[in-house]
Amino acid sequence: MSALISAKHLSKHYGQHRAIDDISFEIAPGRIVGLIGPNGSGKTTTLKAILGLTPFQGELTVLGLDPRTERDRLMRDVCFVADVAILPRWLKVGDAVDFVAGVHPRFDRSKAERYLANTKLTPSMPVKAMSKGMLAQLHLALVMAIDARLLVLDEPTLGLDILYRKQFYQDLLEEYFDEKKTIVITTHQIEEIEHILTDLMFIRDGKITLSVAMDQIGERFNEVMVAPSELDAALALRPISQRQVFGKSILLFDGVPRAQLAALGETRLPSVADLFVATMKGAQA
Amino acid sequence: MNKLKWLIKRELWEHKGMLLWTPVVIGAVMTALAAAMLLFSTQGAHFQSQLMVNGQVTDLHHMGGFLEGGAPADVAAVLAKHYLDATTPLFIVMGILIFFYCLSALYHDRRDRSLLFWKSLPVSDRLTVASKLATALVVAPLITSAVALASGLAMLIMLALTMSARHFNVIGPLLASPDLYLGPLRLLGMWPIYFLWALPTVGWLLMVSAWARSKVFLWAVGSPLLIAMLGVWAQKTLQPALDIAWYMRHIVGHLLLGLIPGSWFMRDRFGGRALADAGDASLSSLSGPAWDVLGTPSLWLGAAAGVLMLYVAIRLRRWRDAS
Repeated sequence: MSALISAKHLSKHYGQHRAIDDISFEIAPGRIVGLIGPNGSGKTTTLKAILGLTPFQGELTVLGLDPRTERDRLMRDVCFVADVAILPRWLKVGDAVDFVAGVHPRFDRSKAERYLANTKLTPSMPVKAMSKGMLAQLHLALVMAIDARLLVLDEPTLGLDILYRKQFYQDLLEEYFDEKKTIVITTHQIEEIEHILTDLMFIRDGKITLSVAMDQIGERFNEVMVAPSELDAALALRPISQRQVFGKSILLFDGVPRAQLAALGETRLPSVADLFVATMKGAQA
Repeated sequence: MNKLKWLIKRELWEHKGMLLWTPVVIGAVMTALAAAMLLFSTQGAHFQSQLMVNGQVTDLHHMGGFLEGGAPADVAAVLAKHYLDATTPLFIVMGILIFFYCLSALYHDRRDRSLLFWKSLPVSDRLTVASKLATALVVAPLITSAVALASGLAMLIMLALTMSARHFNVIGPLLASPDLYLGPLRLLGMWPIYFLWALPTVGWLLMVSAWARSKVFLWAVGSPLLIAMLGVWAQKTLQPALDIAWYMRHIVGHLLLGLIPGSWFMRDRFGGRALADAGDASLSSLSGPAWDVLGTPSLWLGAAAGVLMLYVAIRLRRWRDAS
């Protein structure tokens, strides 16, 4: 029982549409996994299945429990932020803290209060008077004070400005994360989270197109800037993508040794965004 | 149990205006109006003022004549018996408020997507629905009863003091009257019947609230009426042996009006008989006969249907998405 989340042949259909199409994956404890995909690729559906919010076909265990039948027990160890805008408008900061403290056995009230003390939020402030950034701070204060084993974040920084986004991920990493916790996160802003991720999962049309640990990206993937004269030799090595910059071709290779590529031109480590674009090519077609 | 306490608190935070302030304001306004009328009636002899006594409107001049004729003890007995009847409007408003509370209870948080926040906490769907039920049928009646008792007593005290000022001392006999103390108990005694009678209504409303993707009110009120209309149409064209009147009275009436306290009297032979036995429609006369409704199948079948619909509401809550 080493995997924290284990999915085997997981599928979810909405009528004819396959939101998740027979996917299998495992997530080990202590990882920060980025689940990345375009809109409608099945990210949110996968998270909903993990959280027991939607029925599905196939096999899925989270913390050794079946989310369909053991959701109530599961939620003691799992926490999630679905979207910043979901705290009810009438809720006040102080009441929110009281409520979560009242219903959650693993909530550390002093931790939440410490975090809130660093913000402009006051106990009597209702959600309807908050900016989006403040809302995210409140939600994060509540969630970070819960000693959960799995934290699921679905687009947690949607609609926030860059200052709040940076702060959000910094707090998450510094104040919350440790080797006993696991975080699964989806977002469109890949550049902002790639430095905190340990694993990467690309999902497209309900299928996982790439699942790789961040520290293996350098071993597997290389980008080479190839002069036109070397292009035929380079294409023979089957790049997974090709783009043009200033008359030169930039080719992305999967599993071709770096030494071999160095002969063709200047090599460099591709960014996650480059990988994403390469694997998602044609997704919008 | 502790979790349920917090869930009910949560309901009160969200619906404080509806569940607490509305009855308080109505109670206060009624008391203030009664005070104003008493004041005017003692000031000018020609001022026409009316007052709810004996469950009906009488003016104070009549009462003056009535008072002069009667002994203080008789007047005190009447007052002690009826002082809570004046608060009837509070309970009718309560029924309407609970109706709309239930309609939004499992719908509103799906609409504003806060459902996902509540679902991120270790609270079972069963407990969530239980907290809505408890708020509707325990907390709201408790608050309204407390307000009714306070304003009923306030009006009684004002009336008693006014009479005393006219050298017609009813305070002594009033305090000695057992009815004065039985009033709150009679009110409390109505509660179990109210709970059982309103259970199918609350179950139906919570079920629709958990199910509908939009237009909850239309679904809750429209669909039983639509069935009735279809029934009427079928009867006219195909002429099967459908008892539409029975359906309207027992199903639609119970589903939609069950939250109005005492609505069980408005029904079948039982209601008419109970009212006839009671003589008048006051709390003190009806509190005994009200218990007879426990012997009718409508109450128990309705309560069982209510429990069933609550179960369906829990199941729906489990998988219904934020819309």
